Amino acid sequence: MIMAPSTVLKLKKISRAFGHVSAVKSISLEIKRGEVIGLVGENGAGKSTLLKILAGVEQPDSGTMEINGKLVTFRSPNDAVRAGVGVVHQEQSLFTNLTVAENLDTRNAGRIGVKNWARINSECTAALKKIGVNLDPTARVSDLSFVDRQMVEIARAVAIDPNTTGTPLIILDEPTAVLEQNETDVLEREIRNLKEIASVIFVSHRLDEIMRICDRVVVMRSGKIVSDKKTTEVTKEDLFRDMAGGVSQTAHALRKRWPAGAKPAVEVRELASKGKFKNISFTARPGEIVALVGSNASGREAVARAIFGAETYDSGTIEVKSKPVSRWSIRKAVQAGLAYLPAERKVEGMIAGLSATRNIALVYQGDGSSGPFLNLSKLAAVAQSWFNRLDVRPNTISRPLINFSGGNQQKVVLAKWLNSPHTDVLLLDHPLRGLDVGAAQTVNAQIIKTCESGAAVIIIPDTIEEALEMADEILVMRDGEVSARHDMRTKNNLTVQDILADMV
Amino acid sequence: MKDVTGNSAENTNAPEISEGETAVIRFGQKINWSALAPPLVFIAMLLGVSLLNSNYLGPLGVSIATATAAPIMFLALGQSMILNIGSIDLSNAAIALLGALLLALALPPLGIGAFVLILLLVTIVGAINGAVISYAQVPSFALTLGTLAILQTAALVVSGADTIYVTQNRELISTLFKEQVLNAPLTFWIGVLVAFILWALLRYTILGQNMTAMGKNELGATLSAVPTRRVRIITYALSGFMGGLAGLSIVAQAGSASASGLGSDLLLPGIAAALIGGTSISGGQTNPLNVVFGSLTVAFVPIAIQAMKLGAQAQSLVYGIFIILVVALTTVRSRETIIK
Repeated sequence: MIMAPSTVLKLKKISRAFGHVSAVKSISLEIKRGEVIGLVGENGAGKSTLLKILAGVEQPDSGTMEINGKLVTFRSPNDAVRAGVGVVHQEQSLFTNLTVAENLDTRNAGRIGVKNWARINSECTAALKKIGVNLDPTARVSDLSFVDRQMVEIARAVAIDPNTTGTPLIILDEPTAVLEQNETDVLEREIRNLKEIASVIFVSHRLDEIMRICDRVVVMRSGKIVSDKKTTEVTKEDLFRDMAGGVSQTAHALRKRWPAGAKPAVEVRELASKGKFKNISFTARPGEIVALVGSNASGREAVARAIFGAETYDSGTIEVKSKPVSRWSIRKAVQAGLAYLPAERKVEGMIAGLSATRNIALVYQGDGSSGPFLNLSKLAAVAQSWFNRLDVRPNTISRPLINFSGGNQQKVVLAKWLNSPHTDVLLLDHPLRGLDVGAAQTVNAQIIKTCESGAAVIIIPDTIEEALEMADEILVMRDGEVSARHDMRTKNNLTVQDILADMV
Repeated sequence: MKDVTGNSAENTNAPEISEGETAVIRFGQKINWSALAPPLVFIAMLLGVSLLNSNYLGPLGVSIATATAAPIMFLALGQSMILNIGSIDLSNAAIALLGALLLALALPPLGIGAFVLILLLVTIVGAINGAVISYAQVPSFALTLGTLAILQTAALVVSGADTIYVTQNRELISTLFKEQVLNAPLTFWIGVLVAFILWALLRYTILGQNMTAMGKNELGATLSAVPTRRVRIITYALSGFMGGLAGLSIVAQAGSASASGLGSDLLLPGIAAALIGGTSISGGQTNPLNVVFGSLTVAFVPIAIQAMKLGAQAQSLVYGIFIILVVALTTVRSRETIIK
């Protein structure tokens, strides 16, 4: 069947302002049937507002929207769903205690009646088949892998209404941000299959993926589309430049390496925790970066938490600055100079409802306190100096941290730990997760700077590339054990494929 | 911290931490209404009552309302500190009553030393609450429900189900009630003073900062090396101490104590006053100064109901509806908050 290249989405001069701040300024955009569009831009560029308008969460102040040739106005997310717009969020919205079929059976929502399980399950299989996925409809979502869940979300978005005649528009909002390399590969393949039946808007901070998957790349900056080109006609550097509005920089600065042989800051020997990891031994010296690489299930996160005193371990020893630790706890770890940036930033890394100033003052107050008392103006001065140093935006230190974007929150979390002069071991779990290019550069530069001034860094990186670029030593973990070790000072021809081979 | 630029200097004195800021930014207003709601509700109620029957607002009315408010205020202040760390203390009113009974027993033989002894004892009882919650990880609701029952039994045993009169040294304590400033007894003003101290504690000390951080996100606080166990024990000890002060104000007012007399029914008014004072039941949000107004409001509701000339049966009904309305008015809302 030959389909004429009709237009699935047509935006004309869409604008949306919040108070005096215009988030989206007169955006016009067309998406053809079967096209995969990459949407990129730094945090605050207006991407999320645009997506919210498409999903019916926000209403535009002006401009028109056409879907499959029909003029539409979305008053609620339901309107968007009915018109054929499906959104897959980074934070998944599935009911994990229900089966795949129950999650897909949205048509029945709100109606009282007897469930026809045969129909529900067969429709589910059909919906999954439509996007080329084979999953058991009766499987519980909580038992699925992350990428499979993502596919169920996509199936749900596509299966909005089998009777819709138009082409569905699927919006994938950073679907790969929390995926591992091998899972990302699966997702990429699925997105290519999706082109057969739908148009896709793919939002990601990872430009490599955008370049691989998308037909066209749209770059947003300050609420406007600043570039809209075929993927074949742009380079990664072009995109960087368009997003930042300035000169292109690589995300990772090269680091001056310390000579080996300094006294270890942290030494782990045959550390084991039942069911999580075993036989973990490594050393992190001042000025050194050790990367723990592996899949989500490899146990690397538990290792980092055990070193920080946030989880118990059964056997083995941890030595901090050549002293073996006993009855290890978070308090003792922090007193010994350890700092931990958890991957779950919003829940574990920060106190969302407290001001940025208070968050920075949580661990160490310095001369902002005398005895038990706090000197608020001194604390504010300290916070302000961190805001200036790390370019935190907006520059209002008294704002609750929840009202900052993810990248700026991470800057504040980092400032909290670096504010203590004792901090000389950084345990970083996905420090750049979900950060835009600009914020990632700032955070990364600060990490490198801290390392160069003598801190030992143990990092669980977002990507294998990151590990290859930064680390002095890479420990690859598989099923709770170290499956390979690479000393990057001697090996520098290692590739992502080599590491992947160690992981599986 | 040496590279503070000139730009920051003007910001350093900027007022810090206004928790209701989200709402302020969204509506573009300069005034933080949620912070002002508790005093405004109280003033509105005073005006309403004075329109209906101005007799209730005379010197006698003020002295009755503030005398009723005093023990409620001590309990509400303690409760709001507990709610602020994300827990609850159902035993604080029972601590107050037991404290009152023991004080009535101890005053005749010990004199002034009885105050020290009883306040120390109730503080320890509170600390034990906190320690069991921290180390045995019993949820605060369940544990304090248990201590409530235990303390009630203790109160019955101690008093032998009789009223205990302060037979000697009575003037030591009754002056706290009889001595009045602006028609309000001293016990009330002690409560106001304590509220100021707690307000300063939350704002200007590391301990207070840790309490609020813990109430907003205990896991996040733990991972930032906040000593959450110690903070919880201290907060419960504080709640016990406040219960002791409530017991003291009961004895000061009545000159006696009994397991079923004055002050035997203060648990729920104490919680209501904390909530009406803008304290969040899900933690991390309180202002002790507003809890003062919350307590006055709760103490004044029965008076307002009388002024409306409603029958005795209607009192509980109106009281209930009123509490719901006022909490709805004074709760700090934000889109993200999940209501428990």
